[in-house]
Parts: sequence; C-alpha cells; structure tokens
Amino acid sequence: MLIAPMLIGHFPALLIFALMASLALACVTQRTAAERVKYAAWSLFLFVAIAVGIAWAMYPLSR
Amino acid sequence: MNESIAHETPASETSLTELPAKQDSTPIFVVLAAWIVPGMGHLLLRRWGRAIVFFIAVGGLAITGYFLRGNIFAPRGGDAFGALGFLADAGSGLFYFCARFFEAAGPDVSRAAGDYGTRFIAAAGVVNLISVCDAYEIATRRRN
Repeated sequence: MLIAPMLIGHFPALLIFALMASLALACVTQRTAAERVKYAAWSLFLFVAIAVGIAWAMYPLSR
Repeated sequence: MNESIAHETPASETSLTELPAKQDSTPIFVVLAAWIVPGMGHLLLRRWGRAIVFFIAVGGLAITGYFLRGNIFAPRGGDAFGALGFLADAGSGLFYFCARFFEAAGPDVSRAAGDYGTRFIAAAGVVNLISVCDAYEIATRRRN
C-alpha cells in the first residue's frame, strides 16, 4: 500500500474539491490566463460560500 | 461578383483556413492519451499549462478520494447506479487502474469521509472526461 488511510476533515475536503473543480472549469471555459485566474478565484469563493451557507441553513435540523 | 463573396465571408471562417494544415497528432490518439493519462492529450497538443492543471486536478481529486477510502465501482456493478459509478470512476484513466495500489485497505463508507471519497473519485473521472472533450476540440481545431 502506497498511501496509508488518513483522516481529512470536512472543511479541508471541501477546499480541495472546490480548488480542483475550479481550476479544471477555469481551464475549460476561459481563454486567457487572466480570465482563468479570475474565474477560478470566483468559482472557489462561491463553492465555499454556498457550502457554508447550506451548512448553516441545515444546522437547526441537526438538533 | 467574387469580390462581393469575399466581403461576405465571416471572419471566423477566414481564421480557420489560416490555421496550419498539418497536424502532429490524430484526434483519436489524442483522445486515448488524454483518457489514459490525465493531461497527456493537452501535452501532445503543446498546451502545457492546461496539461499540468488537468493532471493536478484529476490526480488531486482521485488521490484525495483514495485517502478518504471512497468506494471504487467495479465494471460489473449489477445495477444502473453501479454502472454509472463505474463509468465516472473509469474516466480518470490511470488513476482508476491504480486504485487498488493506492487504496489497498479497501473502501470504508461507514463513515461520512468514505462517502465523500466516493464522490471525489467520481468527480476525478468526470473532470478527466471534460479534459478529454477539450483535447478533442483542440485537436479538431474547434477551439484554441
């Protein structure tokens, strides 16, 4: 086994997913480097903000 | 008459005819390479930046999924969900075929992290399939 099983917290997992998806989408949808950086940063922000917003909205259901 | 036709030719068509006629890599070879090794299709087309980004994105998602001990769908899943899961997972090419190497302990979806891992592995495959489509479009000159 190359990699031992490791625990990754929910928020780091969210950040990794958001970063990788944002980079890939930026490369596919935008043409220039400046547009790609801007799109990736905005997409990353929206991924995280919406996920945290949904988490807060669901918080009363967990109690 | 000919002059009027020349004036009516859209700029996009003119730019397409100005592209070099000879190609180094055939589209089918680019598609296969892009699927088997994420980013390789773009590398063959000399799109270095995109090649690196796709390799990191697909590899990062897949390996994080294996870290989290996500479920890896086998070719014979038995139901429609399993078949779709296999298609998504197999999209990551090399990373799918090396899955047992990375995740020798097997999946553990009894925890939430394992369930997240399943989604990460599937997302890696989907991102690579998008990269394959992008490489195909570049190889056939539908985009730069």
